[in-house]
Amino acid sequence: MGLDLSRAARDIDSMAGRLHDGAAAQAGRLTRARAVLQAQDARLDALREKVNRGGDRVTFLVAGLSDGLAARHPAPDAPSDYVALGADGSQIEADRHTPVACFLLNVGTVTLRYGDAPGATLDSVPLLLADAADLEVRDPSGSRSVRLDGPLLGVRRAIEEHRALLELARRAPPELPVVALLDGSLVLWTLSGQAYPDFVREALLDRALLPVLDEFAALARSRPLALASYISYPRSTDVVNTLRVAECPYEPPDCDRHCAGRGAFQRPCDSVGGVLDRDLFGGLLAPGERSALFDSASSIVRRYGRHAVRFFYLNVGDEIARVEMPQWAADSPRLVELAHSLALDQCKRGRGYPVALSESHEQAVVHEADREQFWRLVENALARRGLRAETSAKSTSKRTRWL
Amino acid sequence: MTGDAAKRIGEVVLAESARFTVHCYDLHGAPPLGAFLRASDGHAPVYAVVAGASTVSIDAGRRPVALGEEEESEEAVYRRNPQLAQLFRTEAQALAVGFRDGDALRHYLPPRPPRIHAFVSLCPPEEVRAFTQSLDFLALLANAPIPSADDVLAACVREAAAAHDDRHAFLLRAGRETARLLGADVQRLMTVLKRIRP
Repeated sequence: MGLDLSRAARDIDSMAGRLHDGAAAQAGRLTRARAVLQAQDARLDALREKVNRGGDRVTFLVAGLSDGLAARHPAPDAPSDYVALGADGSQIEADRHTPVACFLLNVGTVTLRYGDAPGATLDSVPLLLADAADLEVRDPSGSRSVRLDGPLLGVRRAIEEHRALLELARRAPPELPVVALLDGSLVLWTLSGQAYPDFVREALLDRALLPVLDEFAALARSRPLALASYISYPRSTDVVNTLRVAECPYEPPDCDRHCAGRGAFQRPCDSVGGVLDRDLFGGLLAPGERSALFDSASSIVRRYGRHAVRFFYLNVGDEIARVEMPQWAADSPRLVELAHSLALDQCKRGRGYPVALSESHEQAVVHEADREQFWRLVENALARRGLRAETSAKSTSKRTRWL
Repeated sequence: MTGDAAKRIGEVVLAESARFTVHCYDLHGAPPLGAFLRASDGHAPVYAVVAGASTVSIDAGRRPVALGEEEESEEAVYRRNPQLAQLFRTEAQALAVGFRDGDALRHYLPPRPPRIHAFVSLCPPEEVRAFTQSLDFLALLANAPIPSADDVLAACVREAAAAHDDRHAFLLRAGRETARLLGADVQRLMTVLKRIRP
């Protein structure tokens, strides 16, 4: 007997009841957040100064306001002839039950050309990571190493997605504007904080991802190329966190000093708490419009240099999406216009989500049957060379269910 | 009769003794019902008759949806969504009706089916003419265990007739052969004859 849904249903029902009870208060905080957004838009400099006075004493991630707060930009006309590129990856991960320590990354890529000579190229490239150098990150100046699995494998996958996208961009017809899309955030959140030692950041960010972004930037000097990542249904609160600073009655704002130990919705800034940026901009942006550009304040982004991440919110009709761009692209009005108009056009063609991303996901996806087949191929290859594919009894038991 | 005039249309992707499936190179590029195909297999090509075609999503889990409400033409739907051409495949089902055996043409099932990925070509008229000098293969179509066997039989006769200089004489000969095959079932016979009448 597996999951007893009838038992879970009772808990689901009571969860829905609690959400319903909290809905009125939530709506009040959203109204307040929208009012603060408009009010602060008129005194941006004062808000910026308050944010600066708070500095690291504000423990929320606060969006940088270099481009306004409540600005709305209508959709520019999308060029009729353009190229949309997409790259997305998936992975088969070894666990402690599998016979060999190896990973498989599968990166799906899509080139879609629109206009006078429409066409499409869909592809996927598997990459087997099995060498020691692929399976761990070593500290070049010491003897330490960190296994490349779980979240770090996700980082490696992101790097491969960037590389694949760069290759597509290089091969795109040079005369056409190009939007190169990635799924999710440009910020490698996994590497922020203290979860990993610095040599991991140096290996995966400084020596792997950033050089790829350098090459993107170089390519974008010779052709119209807007690199952007697209986040559907974003849960981020960077802009709302900025409004929290505006609502803070303390001077300078200092979260730990004034509000440590206060419970949920007990802090003064909780007047706008629980609101997501997408809710905030849902009431502001008309379909097709984008917000101002904001700066990501993630600590890891400080290492990105000229690739520091900026973002805007975009009303694509069905939802508010978040579009992130490296700073060199976000600083170019033409590239922002391209990202804006083409992300929107991709969503229109893709029933609410960029076609280049949905199709690259389809190319990348690894089905459960593929996963099983992959491990069978590994076992067969080992067997052909007289190597015994040892696996755990637990794994065998799962694969050969018996009565 | 395996010269360059034959147009290659696809490859065998499923092979059985009596039938095979062709993945067509062109989306919606299936050969016509009843047309004669040749699946190359070195020195012993297999001849077959198109018994049906289908265009389906490559991924069984993805269903096509209507996309053209605001488009002016069907062509515009494809231009606006260039990926579509990569996401569907057109397949043709073929019934084996004979094979080449050295210099001879045999009008019964081949000793083995064509290989997977065998190239499949549409037979040019002279090859159809040569193969249909004998109509013994019509029995294979008349007895094929498919719901549309009568239509396939009639379509095949029409296709073959178009390759013959004396179309009328061919139709008479094919009509007589059909009568011999289906004589016991007058209703079926009449159905087929109505569909091959000039």
